[in-house]
Amino acid sequence: MLAEQIINGVVLGSMYALIAQGYTLVFGVLDKLNFAHGEIFMLGGFICVASIALGASLPIAILVTAIIAGLLGLVVEFIGFRKFQSPDAHLTAALSSFAIGLVIIDLSQKIWGAESVAVTLPGTLQTAAVSIGGLRIVVLRLAILVISLLLMLALYVVVTRSSLGRRIRAVAESPTKAALFGINVTRINQQVFFVASMMAGLAGLALALRTGYASSDVGFTFGLKALAIMAIGGMGDLRGALIGGLLIGVLEALAFHWGLGQLADVFVWLLMIVILLMRPSGLFGTLISKEVRA
Amino acid sequence: MIQDYIVFVGVNIVLAWSVYVILLAGSLSFANGGFMAIGAYVSGVLTVKFGFPLVIAALISGIAAGLIGVLAGFPALRTRGIYLMLVTVGIAVSVKAVIESIDYVGGIQGFGGMVGTTPWHVVGLVGLVGGGLALLSRSPLQRILDAVREDELSAASLGINPIYVKLTCFGVGAFLAAVAGSFYAHYLIHVSPDQFGIVLSVFIVLYAVLGGTNNMWGPPIGAAIMTLTPEFVRGLEAWRPTAFGVIILCLLLIRPDGLLAFRIATTRTKVVAGSKPKQST
Repeated sequence: MLAEQIINGVVLGSMYALIAQGYTLVFGVLDKLNFAHGEIFMLGGFICVASIALGASLPIAILVTAIIAGLLGLVVEFIGFRKFQSPDAHLTAALSSFAIGLVIIDLSQKIWGAESVAVTLPGTLQTAAVSIGGLRIVVLRLAILVISLLLMLALYVVVTRSSLGRRIRAVAESPTKAALFGINVTRINQQVFFVASMMAGLAGLALALRTGYASSDVGFTFGLKALAIMAIGGMGDLRGALIGGLLIGVLEALAFHWGLGQLADVFVWLLMIVILLMRPSGLFGTLISKEVRA
Repeated sequence: MIQDYIVFVGVNIVLAWSVYVILLAGSLSFANGGFMAIGAYVSGVLTVKFGFPLVIAALISGIAAGLIGVLAGFPALRTRGIYLMLVTVGIAVSVKAVIESIDYVGGIQGFGGMVGTTPWHVVGLVGLVGGGLALLSRSPLQRILDAVREDELSAASLGINPIYVKLTCFGVGAFLAAVAGSFYAHYLIHVSPDQFGIVLSVFIVLYAVLGGTNNMWGPPIGAAIMTLTPEFVRGLEAWRPTAFGVIILCLLLIRPDGLLAFRIATTRTKVVAGSKPKQST
């Protein structure tokens, strides 16, 4: 069923968008790529597995995942980015966050093994389905879609409307000037990393629930693809990440539907390359200042 | 055993230099793992299916990768910094995915049957590349590269074409990576696309960056240390990736410019900034 595939694609895309928004938030504020982001996303699934195995109910597991992932984000900021804040340090920051990612992968394989681990929820939560207009939709997927859209809406509102968002945007514009106006730049960086990593952790949890498995290699496949999606949507632009994520999710589902699944990965990266060459600010990005700073 | 060390260290040294050449002109590349894969597969097909001698196959694969590098680099080098990083990551991922989908070279299973690399091949390659770089560092070309790296605009105003210089370096880097890749493949006998993932590309950059990129001796030191340390520290086997990551982090935090980095005297000093303003006369 084509319509069901499209809905699956939208659900997939909402997870891509959750991760891509984390990348974009960090990129927008620090102008750096956070290669450890995909691994925090990967770990989100395992934290969910562990907390359910310890007897936590699903809401508690979600809360625990969000908090632990956010705290890990603070660790990544402290080790990988605090010292490398100058504009020419982007290579060093990328490499150091990559090294943190390696450590996270290895430690999680030490704890949970290299094979993927099954997630089992009590009851029929994983299989329950409703039919809307003749389409059979798994409730869990619908819930994932709604929750991630709500999360992204909340983030958007916080960044554009609240005073915290104003401070974040000020630091994104110019850390020096923001500091002159009395904004604690380090604190803002920490908050950005906490929120970004929290969303990555929740996306990892959603992926683990949707597929029924938590596996340690999704960071490099799924997580890295979100990086390309961030660039496709527009670097540093939250709406771009959302639209880019949904777009790629649907395109990928269609590719699998027509039996072109193998080429989907190449397509995403080639699309990113073409878009970076044609429109460095991304499909939907309208950031004029970014190009100057790149 | 000793043969293994020589080959792997030598290949990694050439790979580190392949990134160093690209960094020389002020661009960077996370695609060299992909170029290495191109080298491994093209030369493998040439020797196994067409019976070419190893050295000639390695050279042909190097030229092929160099051409692909120039073709890919031509648009890619219009971008800089983070964007260039992303584009080269994209090239590396795409190369791997394309190889995986070609059944002629075994797809995901990998491709086998390559033999013939002796340690002497690798030692000779390291000697040749090292000699070439040593000559380069004493030639006027090095100053052109320095000019492009330090300030593209003023280099352009001196009649240097920065895009041409960067593109040449990108092509040479791809060539070196592919030649190293073909010797590597012919030593391992069997290669699979898994080996050439994005992790490899990042590691190659790490070799160069950890050693220090402002002179030609940094990258080989970085490559040798990163290759040999896990082999010689017993009890580290099981914790290899973690130990690796921690070592990388410590080095980056303690010596962000690299192990062997030292200050080079440049012309870009206070003399220019503090010189007498013209209007005073």
